[in-house]
Amino acid sequence: MRERVRVTADSPRELETPRPLAQSREAARSGHSIAEPEAVYVYGLMRAQLKLAFGCLVGFLATAGSLAVLLTTMSVLNEVILWGVPLSWLLHAFGFYPVIFVFALIYATAARRNERRFRALKESVE
Amino acid sequence: MTSPFALPAVALVLVITLILGFAGVRLSRSTSDFFVASRSVRPFWNASAISGEYLSAGTFLGLSGLVLLSGSAGFWFPIGYAAGYLLVLLFVGAPLRRSGAYTIPDFIEARVESRGARQLTSVIVVITGFLYIVPQLHGAAITLNVAAGLPLWVGAVVVALVVAGAVAGGGMRAITAVQAFHYWLKLFALLVPAVLLLIVVAGDPSPPDPHLAFPESAGPAGADLYRTLSLLMALLLGTIGLPHVLVRFYTSPGGDSARRATVIVIVLISAFYVVSSTIGLIARIAVPDLAAPGAADTAVLALPSRLLPGVLGQVVTALVVAGAFAAFLATSSGLVVALAGVVSQDLFGGTVRSFRFSAIACALTPLLFSFLTLGGGLVSSVGLVFVFAASSLTPVLLLGVWWRKLTARGAIAGMAVGAISSAGSLIGAKVVPRNSWWASILEQPAAWTVCLAAAVIVVVSLCDRSRRPRRADWFLSRLHVPEAPDAS
Repeated sequence: MRERVRVTADSPRELETPRPLAQSREAARSGHSIAEPEAVYVYGLMRAQLKLAFGCLVGFLATAGSLAVLLTTMSVLNEVILWGVPLSWLLHAFGFYPVIFVFALIYATAARRNERRFRALKESVE
Repeated sequence: MTSPFALPAVALVLVITLILGFAGVRLSRSTSDFFVASRSVRPFWNASAISGEYLSAGTFLGLSGLVLLSGSAGFWFPIGYAAGYLLVLLFVGAPLRRSGAYTIPDFIEARVESRGARQLTSVIVVITGFLYIVPQLHGAAITLNVAAGLPLWVGAVVVALVVAGAVAGGGMRAITAVQAFHYWLKLFALLVPAVLLLIVVAGDPSPPDPHLAFPESAGPAGADLYRTLSLLMALLLGTIGLPHVLVRFYTSPGGDSARRATVIVIVLISAFYVVSSTIGLIARIAVPDLAAPGAADTAVLALPSRLLPGVLGQVVTALVVAGAFAAFLATSSGLVVALAGVVSQDLFGGTVRSFRFSAIACALTPLLFSFLTLGGGLVSSVGLVFVFAASSLTPVLLLGVWWRKLTARGAIAGMAVGAISSAGSLIGAKVVPRNSWWASILEQPAAWTVCLAAAVIVVVSLCDRSRRPRRADWFLSRLHVPEAPDAS
């Protein structure tokens, strides 16, 4: 089935007016924190996503950092010549992108799973 | 080095850009299942468009120049740009899409509920954008000078006028088709010469000594640790604060699709950087004589006619010129759209007429700056933009998305400290003696300015507890709660 989706920007005016979740409309209107059970899940989701993001960041920095240390300290890599270019140069030019991609993929998949879990939890309460 | 096909190629790119741009509204309506509604295609084209806008003169011309000039340290720039998108994905991508904000000032105002914070953000966004447009115009100037023998100012004026006209006319207003076209043109325009040059270089019966073309001192082992780390910090964090990145998320229907598009963006820009880095390596083998400041940025343009015979060399040169122009146009039009939105809303109340006026002003002001500053290396001037954005905007965006206790005063203080310390340090680096120990600290200040700005935001916000935005909890839940399943 095809469906049209129009993508438009909210005007800043709209942004200033809360568009609360249906369940927490009253609480949001009055400007206080959102309804209690909902809020617990939201904070849980935020914590999970932040933990995931930091986990991926640390993993990425550790992997890329080790590769960088390897490149700068292993003079053997400079002696191996492939297609007329030292291996250390080739690794520096091309080696980091796969690392970036792998962590991007891990994050996107896991973040999606976190959100699915959040939705399931919310539905089970309702 | 000049090619008779260069000017027709530039004209063709301009014409296709304008046709796609002005017809874009109609086109995307009649093929809406292709560009808008069909979910399976959508993140891919959206990602092509984001990549098209992101890949600028800095990486198209500048990267090979830098690799030629200063060795493998140049590779840190594209690695940092690509990893910068990883950080966008990890920390702000989906939340910023869900915020409903169209520009960074919109987001800050909605988050901390303060006009003052909004105005300061707008000023910083406009400065960042101007700083980023200037190297694009320099790139255009160099390109037409080298490939068509025109005076330096011509290229800069052409790009500035086309962008001003097209954005003011409504032709390039975040039209996915134009930006996506530019991405594929850029990739193709470097891939074809890269393959042909590789064939030529591989067939060379007496290849140069690898240890002469790639000396160990210019390799990965020769880098300065502090400078490299500080530079990488600026590149990684700077992407989050770039004015034209947030706008593009808006073309994703929801948070999750924004994330998927970002993953594809990482693949697409990495593919481009791999090709561009390959040309940098070829340049070290084939045109070591261009390794001088100023000349190095022309390496990509010079390579085809040096290595390929006759007409083939000229045609490939023209293709490279076309790709380079796509880079200047895509990035500067993306920036001008973002800046004109900010300027027209903050100064003139956001009417269509004021948007047009602002677009022209935002394209022509950097043109004046570009005349004053012609001659700096492309990559390093783009690097300065990342330092400034990473110090002034990134800390407040990150804390705004993840930290409930952020207040308007904290945001204002942090942005001001980040902007002033990074700008001051970059200017200071010009006056101190080059080899003193603190020259590095001033030239690559991101490592301390980012931390300083973040610390100021946290301390001031904590001291300002009574003024926490009333709707902070509601706003954060809006950023992080996924849309209903059918919208993602």
